[in-house]
Amino acid sequence: MRPGIIRRIAAKEILSTLRDRRAIISNLVLPLVLLPVIMMGMPLLLGGLFNREAASQTDLAVENLAAMPAQLVQLLDRANVSPFEAGDVIAAVRDDEAQVGLVLPEDFEALLSEGEAAAVQVVSKMGSLSAELNASKVQGAIDGYRQQIVGERLAAVGLDPSVLNPIIIQPVDASTDAERSSGQLSWIIPFFIAIWALAGGQMTAVDATAGEKERGTLESLLVSPVSRAEVVVGKFFATTLFSIIAAAMAIVGYVVGSMIMSNVVGSRIGGDGAEIVALMGGSLQVTPQSIVLLLVSALLLAGTISSLLLAISMFARSFKEAQTYVAPLSFLLVIPAVALQFKDLLDLGTWIYAVPLVNALMVMDDLVRGSIDFANLLVTWLSLLATIAVFLGLAFLNFRKENVLFRT
Amino acid sequence: MVEVNEISKSFGDVTAVSRVSFRVAGGEVFGLLGPNGAGKTTTLRILATLIKANSGSATVAGFDIDRDPQRVRHAIGVVNGGMGLYDRLTGREVLTYFGGLYGMNQQQMDERINQLDELLSLGDALTRQTGDFSTGMKQKIVIARAVLHDPPVIFFDEATSGLDVMARRAVLDLVSEFARQGKAVVYSTHVMSEVEELCDRIAIVYQGAIVAQDTLPNLLESTGAQSLERAFFDVVKRSGLATELVS
Ligand SMILES: Nc1ncnc2c1ncn2[C@@H]1O[C@H](COP(=O)(O)OP(=O)(O)OP(=O)(O)O)[C@@H](O)[C@H]1O
Ligand SMILES: [Mg+2]
Repeated sequence: MRPGIIRRIAAKEILSTLRDRRAIISNLVLPLVLLPVIMMGMPLLLGGLFNREAASQTDLAVENLAAMPAQLVQLLDRANVSPFEAGDVIAAVRDDEAQVGLVLPEDFEALLSEGEAAAVQVVSKMGSLSAELNASKVQGAIDGYRQQIVGERLAAVGLDPSVLNPIIIQPVDASTDAERSSGQLSWIIPFFIAIWALAGGQMTAVDATAGEKERGTLESLLVSPVSRAEVVVGKFFATTLFSIIAAAMAIVGYVVGSMIMSNVVGSRIGGDGAEIVALMGGSLQVTPQSIVLLLVSALLLAGTISSLLLAISMFARSFKEAQTYVAPLSFLLVIPAVALQFKDLLDLGTWIYAVPLVNALMVMDDLVRGSIDFANLLVTWLSLLATIAVFLGLAFLNFRKENVLFRT
Repeated sequence: MVEVNEISKSFGDVTAVSRVSFRVAGGEVFGLLGPNGAGKTTTLRILATLIKANSGSATVAGFDIDRDPQRVRHAIGVVNGGMGLYDRLTGREVLTYFGGLYGMNQQQMDERINQLDELLSLGDALTRQTGDFSTGMKQKIVIARAVLHDPPVIFFDEATSGLDVMARRAVLDLVSEFARQGKAVVYSTHVMSEVEELCDRIAIVYQGAIVAQDTLPNLLESTGAQSLERAFFDVVKRSGLATELVS
């Protein structure tokens, strides 16, 4: 293998990909723009929703409004809930005359004053986030009233309300700074890296294999005095380059999104918003060392994906055919990436770090959380290198097989 | 320049090439004439070291196709009708890419591209991206690419398919010009008139085998036919392969 020839083959693929403006925009520019937009949009939308529903007026249709004690009316008023009398509460909620309905027994106050239990029904359209927020305002007010009555009844028999609460649970957070700031959604970082590495590598890999067949250039390339190994390796370098650039764009997009989120959005939407920002890993703190390790892991992941893409898309005769072959690969990455969020529950052994692709996602997640084990990292890197060698070997075989090169 | 000894090739139970032998000298245009599926492309792919023969041997420019494929590829240029170009590269970029693969340096490439520009009138095909070329313009760059490294042996396979009269004429003239320069040319086609015009010697290929091989006058004389077309049918019928053919 001659490095000069490999460089020329790679350079041509790089030039050809760079001139494909549509592919560049959708695979390199889009993640840069899309990720911050998605990341900001989510908390803005959700945070805005929580705050808005809390502040806005909730109409409450009540059956037997006359039976409602004055204290409860007050509590509801404080929660921005305005009750009105309705004959058929369920119909009123169904027809959107009120967001929430409440059915009180006629003898509500009598039952309570006699020390009995009274059943009330809270009516809402379940399954709608906004309706449930409204219903929870009403339930909160009723619960407040219930506690008042409990307090009064206990006082009547000379007991302190704390007798009902003999144990007080105090949760203490023992996670590291990195773990805490990475939030529960830290898995979306490896997820983004993986799917954009696939998208970025795909444009070059398909162009360099099925594209050569479809354009009728493969034969001229193979009758030139280059070895098939040089061809495969040259195309592999170009593919890996675009794969890692796309992944890097996704990371940059994510970091930019996080910065905007915690500095601008976080402060604007207040309490609930800040919680969501943290949940989305918005206050991520990653050390320079883990960034380097993350990049090496991402590079090896990009190499693995690229060699696999080349091996597979070489079977195809056209761009279209190649795309159908390559499409299922995204499941191979998306499913384990999404499953990462349950990784604590799954109780995986260390063997998982020997499973290529999955292991790359695992170590990237570990690195983001700041809880990397170096033995696992080493196993992962070696396993990925071996996988690259195997897939490149397969791609090389496909570049030599007559029925793959000249399928009719 | 080209020596082919009894090469055969099957794909599954289809015999694509059956014990084909011929020789082509420098300065000679050798025609492979045969209908669709005769085995012309397969023969040329074997000689170009793209696929391996099941049996037989061949040398190209003195190099054995099995033992020295890299040198063989250095010595040949291949043009076929289905060849395309990298559509986001300009004509010059395509040529420079391949020049690099053939180990040419920048100066050699520039000189050679100027030469070919004169010979082929490449014009703005050098500076425009090839994606929006006409078929004729594309074929000019394909040919320039094939002979960029000035190979002593050139294979043409249905090189005029899809070309209009003007472009076709240009290609045929080039074939003669390359032979005049002393190159050995193998010209494969199913178009009788092109073979009649260009080829010093003709092999009639049918169902994988060469059923006759001679100069045009000798072929006409031995069959007593008036035209190459009549001679073709005559030879095929006599070979006994063509049971379905009626005169
Ligand atoms: N890669 C392949 N796999 C299977 N069969 C093949 C392959 N290439 C060629 N063949 C078969 O071998 C025979 C010879 O084909 P070939 O392409 O060499 O003919 P040809 O003379 O070039 O014909 P055409 O004028 O159609 O180009 C045909 O029957 C063809 O179907
Ligand atoms: Mg053919």
